[in-house]
Amino acid sequence: MVGKEHVSMIPTPKGQPWSAKVNGTPVEVLAPSNAVLLDVLRDKVGTLGVKRGCDLGTCGCCTVMINGVPKLSCLTLAGQVEGAEIITVEGLSNGAHLAPIQTCFATHGGSQCGFCTPGFLVASQALLNENDSPSRDEIATAIEGNLCRCTGYQQIIDAIEAAAAIHRGEVEGAEPASSPHPDPHPSGPEEPTMPPGHAK
Amino acid sequence: MGSYKQQPGASSAEIRKDGKRVAGKQSFPPPGSGGSDPSMRPRDLDFIPETVGGREPKPAGDHIHDRARTGTSVGKAMPLVDSNAKVTGQAWYGDDVRLPGELIGKILRSPHHYARIKSIDTSKVEALPGVVAVATGQDAPNRFGVLPVTKDEHAMAVEKVRHVGDLVACVAAVDEATAIEALSLFEIEWEVLEPVFDPKEGLEDHDEPIHWRGKYHLARTNVQKRVFQEFGDRSLVNNPHAASHGSWTMLGVHHGFTEPHAVVAHWDPNGRLQLYTPQQVPHYTHRALSTVLDVPMHQINVIRTFVGGGFGGKSDPFPHEMCAALLARSSGKPVRITFDREEVYWINRGRHPSHIDVKMTADEEGRISSFDIDALIDGGGFASFGHVTSYYNGVLATAPYELGSFHYTGARVWTNKPASGAMRGHGAVNTRCAVEVGLDEMAESMQVDPIDLRLANLLPPHSRTISGFRITSNGMREALERVREGSNWDEKFRQLPLGKGIGIGCGFFISGSGLPIHWDPKNFPHATVHIQVDMDGGVTVHTGAADIGQGSTTAVAQVVSEVLALPVEMIHVRSHESDTSPVDLGSYSSRVTFMNANAAIRAAIEIRDQLLNAAWQMLGYHPNVLVLNDRRIYYKHDPSIGVSYLEALHKAQEDKGALIARGAYRSPPMGGVHKGAAAGLAPAYSFSAYVAEVDVDVETGLVSCTNVWAAHDCGKALNPLAVKGQIIGSCHMGLGQVLTEKMVYGRTGHLQNANLLEYKIPSVHEMPHVEAIIVESSDPEGPFGAKEAGEGPLLPILPAVVNAVYDAIGIRLRDLPLTPDVVYNGIEKHLKKTGLEDPLDLPSPRLQHGTLQATLKARGESHRERDRLRQRSEDTSAYVNGVLFGFDPDRPLADQVEGWREADEPLPEQLAELGFAGRAWLKKEQRHMEDDA
Repeated sequence: MVGKEHVSMIPTPKGQPWSAKVNGTPVEVLAPSNAVLLDVLRDKVGTLGVKRGCDLGTCGCCTVMINGVPKLSCLTLAGQVEGAEIITVEGLSNGAHLAPIQTCFATHGGSQCGFCTPGFLVASQALLNENDSPSRDEIATAIEGNLCRCTGYQQIIDAIEAAAAIHRGEVEGAEPASSPHPDPHPSGPEEPTMPPGHAK
Repeated sequence: MGSYKQQPGASSAEIRKDGKRVAGKQSFPPPGSGGSDPSMRPRDLDFIPETVGGREPKPAGDHIHDRARTGTSVGKAMPLVDSNAKVTGQAWYGDDVRLPGELIGKILRSPHHYARIKSIDTSKVEALPGVVAVATGQDAPNRFGVLPVTKDEHAMAVEKVRHVGDLVACVAAVDEATAIEALSLFEIEWEVLEPVFDPKEGLEDHDEPIHWRGKYHLARTNVQKRVFQEFGDRSLVNNPHAASHGSWTMLGVHHGFTEPHAVVAHWDPNGRLQLYTPQQVPHYTHRALSTVLDVPMHQINVIRTFVGGGFGGKSDPFPHEMCAALLARSSGKPVRITFDREEVYWINRGRHPSHIDVKMTADEEGRISSFDIDALIDGGGFASFGHVTSYYNGVLATAPYELGSFHYTGARVWTNKPASGAMRGHGAVNTRCAVEVGLDEMAESMQVDPIDLRLANLLPPHSRTISGFRITSNGMREALERVREGSNWDEKFRQLPLGKGIGIGCGFFISGSGLPIHWDPKNFPHATVHIQVDMDGGVTVHTGAADIGQGSTTAVAQVVSEVLALPVEMIHVRSHESDTSPVDLGSYSSRVTFMNANAAIRAAIEIRDQLLNAAWQMLGYHPNVLVLNDRRIYYKHDPSIGVSYLEALHKAQEDKGALIARGAYRSPPMGGVHKGAAAGLAPAYSFSAYVAEVDVDVETGLVSCTNVWAAHDCGKALNPLAVKGQIIGSCHMGLGQVLTEKMVYGRTGHLQNANLLEYKIPSVHEMPHVEAIIVESSDPEGPFGAKEAGEGPLLPILPAVVNAVYDAIGIRLRDLPLTPDVVYNGIEKHLKKTGLEDPLDLPSPRLQHGTLQATLKARGESHRERDRLRQRSEDTSAYVNGVLFGFDPDRPLADQVEGWREADEPLPEQLAELGFAGRAWLKKEQRHMEDDA
């Protein structure tokens, strides 16, 4: 290399307009033509819920829904999905109001460190959109591309089963955490029970 | 539904002359007060211990924290308090911190295994447009390391690189592409040195040892640490009734957390460093940064982001954190460094590749007369936690069984590979597997059931191990009995057809380490928690405990909620910044629940007492007769007399403002005086027993685990959902190590599978059904009786699977992981030896109970009652390891047996017969060599 003028090995093309509908909102950003969807979503669109775990399509953390189909955004060129409808984990909930699958992941222990959770949520929501009464085997097949190092998957499958029951309407979903709680005792609560061993 | 009853005639409060209100004569205070649910609930007696009048069973008896129980949240399954942030994608991990004007940092890594850097020319790098800052090892020559006794790391290589991937230089540029390009412009002159890969070679003298420790260096070897420990009566080893000897090769495994390391550093305009990093030990990082950057600690704010999995792999201060800080300092701009997956393997800190040799003997009564362990572990290029690992490989095998004698030689050797370090089950996993498989083999030669062998040799609660560890609560027996029953063991063991097998394994692990890593300043607490309650009633808890997904934040919130009888959503835990958090040593050694929750309980009790005193002033009843329940404080004998939580709070705040309290925890003094006595000391220990069922395809060698019954004694499950999650998750990680995961170094010493495609973490399809069984032995010093549940549950799965494979095919395999090639090689060798043609003709092992079985069964039965009495402190007599062999626990054992030995160095006559690691004792330290010369 000595004495030679340096030639740039990695092309850094100027960005060009890239547009898509991300979580229901049309976005248009400048992105290099060789950009990977994961990078565009994280660095340009700002959906940081899409996680980068491996860059090789092995961990599933970067799963997003592209036109309703779960895909690995690290193996997708942004240019391939120009104009597509993309749902990330941020698009599953209605703002701060959680979708059933999200509530169930929380209540069933489907999320520990939480890094793989966005990918799992997108993959399992895609499953529930197609099939609201999946068997445990069908659930396993739907999340086979996602690695989780904390939970051992068992509680994740429990969570997806529970969410499916909400989707089928068998169980009622939880209220948003921010809604005012209706008073369960319009006339006040019951009198507190006496401590044991003490007569009234 | 009952209505809101007032006391008859209670139209207005009537105050007596002495200021006390009259029972039954005042209006019921406003319900609720605080929380999102305004109504009050009756006390949940199912979650109040029976020892204080509730209905929660307490088979282990009274606990010191029973009186702080309010039935609010301890013992109830609840989601992690930060899970809503995680399921919406709002949890911010290392790479999610995006500061305005950030630069991207990249690290230049060594292409050589071992080489001296003769010169680095950075002029071309600096000339590249877009490059803003460059740093090399010369910019930060101060050494650091997680353990103060083995500081052997630099931010970047100062003189030598010690493995492929070691840090050489770093650069910050306006974007990633420029930074990557800049890496190719460094001009470095190397002097390539002869690398060492095999730890056995590391025991020999070298021209150029990987590190040099001056007068403490062991000859010219690469031995970083050698350990010798011997306890007990060595004469018992002679003429054993049964014996087992196994030589194991265990490959290195990696934590495999899903979040790659990432760090963001920024020096604010006031000259303070703000460092964002996913760290398990923010406090040790804080100390190391101060050393390396030459600034006082108060000039640094370490901000722990959410941690995308740790498992020990994020518990060292890391050189890339120093790099980011250096680049940010010279550029004046925020710098973000994010690893790709390959870099994660270069920094490693995974489980040590190990050669382990375990010999054990039993006497004619089925008592374990000796454990002889030799562990040679491959430390890679740096010390990391290795000093401790070298001890843990031996000393954590001294329980849960009563031993006649114990002999351990260990050595950790530097090699030119990425550094090994702490990983879930730190140091205990590999030896535990070897020991448990050895017991299985001994049981077979004695013709007894391996569970009965274990049950007849357990140390009881409130006893002492042969190495002097203080055992308090001990749920080992219950764990064994419950997995035996749950798995239908007695109908399956040695009775299944070829290819199907069932196996048992046990585990024993520390719940927090008794000594902190840094012991300065003197008598510094291991954990401190601050609580603040202002007029709105919300409780803010400040703690430095690093939640790495295990739920430590939730545990703290739960115990505070329990003591103050407030719903968990009213407890807000702030734990991210070192500026606002009191020092906590971090998430390692399974210490957080035990130590941090204990500190939190102390702080919460102080707040509670302030509230009760305020209520005393208002009601006239002494706190002893006041009950705290669901946002209300009332008179014990008449619940209608009381004040709401907010009323009491506002009274307590009069003229003072927000209530503030502090709680701290430091473990009690424990243990012996021999060298290394502190290693493995813990305020409590967890116990576990697993039964695993496997299918082995004898024609291909493929092993699949189908069912696991996993019983873990966690003292008290503060949150059963989280404990079960830890148990199942531990099974997953342990199954990976025993069946599929390995770090493969090729003949040239290169790591060949630094990615998640070839480093095979079990997917959902490889995961068996795990029946998580929680055993609660109620630890006397644990927070509400709790002990650890994060690491211990990993240990038993390895031996359980290995033993199950033997049950399935009748072949002992001692090379982990049991990939199909390893298993099939074993089958082929066995076929050759036995002259069989077809693997389908392999005989399944069968068990015909021998005469010893009845002896063991009877002893196990009688010990059950012994253990129950000791657990309940109905029997408080002393018990030390050795009582089973007929010794008097009240007199020193050395006085009772002639050959009793307690040693931390080998005798000269022992040198000839030491194992691989023991050979490190043939060498002398430099200072002693000088003596000789």
